Amino acid sequence: MLAIDFGGEGVVVIAGRLDAAQSPVAQSFLDKVQGPITLDCSGLEYISSAGLGVLLKTQKRLMAANGKMRLAGVKGHLRDIFQYSGFDRIFEIENAK
Amino acid sequence: MSASVDLEPILAVAGKLAAPFDLTTMLAEVVAAAKQVLKVERGTVWLYDREADELVLRFSEDVASMRIPAGTGIVGSCARTRQLINVRDCYADPRFDPTTDRRTGFRTRCMLTMPLVDHEDVLVGVMQVLNKADGVFEEKDERLGTVLAAQCAVALQRVRMTEALIASAKMRQELEMARIVQMGSLPASMPSVAGYDLYGTFEPADLTGGDTFDLAAVGQGVLVVLGDATGHGIAPALSVTQMQAMLRMAFRLGADLETAFVHANNQLAEFLPSDRFITAFIGLLDVAAHQLRFHSGGQGPILHYRAGEDRFDVYGPTSFPLAAMPLASLGPAITLALGPGDILALVSDGVFEYEDPNGEQFGEGRVYEVIREHRARPMAELTAGLFAAVKAFAAGAPQEDDMTVVMVKREAGVVRDFPRRFEEIDDIVAFTAGTFEALGIDPRLRTPVDLALEELFTNVVKYDEGGGAPVRIGLARTPDGVEATIIVDGVARFDPAEGPEVDVALPIERRRPGGLGLHLVRQFADSLEYDYDEARRRARIVFRKKGS
Repeated sequence: MLAIDFGGEGVVVIAGRLDAAQSPVAQSFLDKVQGPITLDCSGLEYISSAGLGVLLKTQKRLMAANGKMRLAGVKGHLRDIFQYSGFDRIFEIENAK
Repeated sequence: MSASVDLEPILAVAGKLAAPFDLTTMLAEVVAAAKQVLKVERGTVWLYDREADELVLRFSEDVASMRIPAGTGIVGSCARTRQLINVRDCYADPRFDPTTDRRTGFRTRCMLTMPLVDHEDVLVGVMQVLNKADGVFEEKDERLGTVLAAQCAVALQRVRMTEALIASAKMRQELEMARIVQMGSLPASMPSVAGYDLYGTFEPADLTGGDTFDLAAVGQGVLVVLGDATGHGIAPALSVTQMQAMLRMAFRLGADLETAFVHANNQLAEFLPSDRFITAFIGLLDVAAHQLRFHSGGQGPILHYRAGEDRFDVYGPTSFPLAAMPLASLGPAITLALGPGDILALVSDGVFEYEDPNGEQFGEGRVYEVIREHRARPMAELTAGLFAAVKAFAAGAPQEDDMTVVMVKREAGVVRDFPRRFEEIDDIVAFTAGTFEALGIDPRLRTPVDLALEELFTNVVKYDEGGGAPVRIGLARTPDGVEATIIVDGVARFDPAEGPEVDVALPIERRRPGGLGLHLVRQFADSLEYDYDEARRRARIVFRKKGS
């Protein structure tokens, strides 16, 4: 359903579906992350408002500590969702190639 | 009538004859009354057999049964002329036949012969009395005899009607037994197959008809049968039941369509009388491939409503009626591909041929209309609608034949209930994936539908986690996309289209996750419909999305 793990220096790889059922898993993982990071979304198929809540909470925490999360490999519907939700204004987003 | 003393026995007779006698008792009673009232030595009653135009001796003290043609002899001419005949001296009358006297040793002196004519002026027989005590029959006896004959005629008619009623009641009882057997072989419940709405029903005519149907999950798929045996009465009711049992047995033993058809046919041909046969549709539905393969022995028209094109394909039989002749092999079967929303409608001729009071038949066109009108309804409702249309058309005309309907509908949509728990989201996603696949919905619409269902579902779960009635989710393919419906009971009114707007331009410090879900649903929806039923506190939300 959802896989989330470190993917090298300052990179977290997330794949699968970040929905209301999976967001607690993602939240507890991201709660441990520090500093500037890139979230590799190229394997992320789906995100709902619950998942957006996880990203928002993490971004707020990181920014309070002068950190930041950028989103990479964003594609398809995710792009629409980030746009509709205004998250493209609060995250630096790098679209999938 | 001058003598009041004579009236009393007549009234007594009238009273006695009103009691529900069987024919023999009644005739004995009539003759006994005649002997008492008219003071005679012998009395006989003859019944008129209209078909043979003969008189049949039905009551006599000393003569066995006898038939004479109407018009012959004194009894015969009384029947022909419907006039009382008073013969004062039999042996002096050329019409008198002394044969019976010679055989019995009885000597007939005089006789009074009276026609028995009922209320409706129909001749029912002749009564004859012999040998007036101490003399001959006078005018007074003729009048008395006429009154007695009238009473007797009415009583006879009533007894005959009673006997006919008893006979038909007996037949009805036997038919009811056959009906019980026939009805008992019908499926007790409809097979439940995901993605299909299967429904069959049988509306028996009062007395006649030999329809059957079957819908059953067997190893090879879903067995679909509609049969109609020729003829009226008990035999067809029983022969379709036999056919149905044979087919079930054959398919349960793993027979393929052709083998089952040929074997059932040959068995029936062997033991059904040569003037009997059964028209039957026999099909197997492959629910994974959405194909229905069938043979039809003389059964048709077979209607395939194709939802995608909004049109009917109509098929005729592939073979002869069952039992018409032994078969060595069959021609090719027909295979129908059922698209989402398609309906296979099998309708017995009791529906097509139902006549209104002017003799016009319900016909095929009206069946098409009803199917198209109710095509989105459950098949049980569509069928009820069809029968209602037939009854309305008939305007009170009686049902002459069984009406049987089998409907096989591939759902345009699928519905499932989910408990109010966050963990159900995985199942909802799986349900959506399976349904998109099954209904052939544009896969690019998956994400917006998943999102809408998740957001709307989690909203309900947040409202009452773990409690309350399950959430009903329906998915249907629409001509231009998809429709997702959520129905939930026991909730407050809340229209997602009117939820608070989210200001997506706020800086991050002021952003809150709340309200974002419904905001996204509104963004993705081409239409978002909401209605609320106060009584059940039921909310219904329909999310529609068009394909590109």
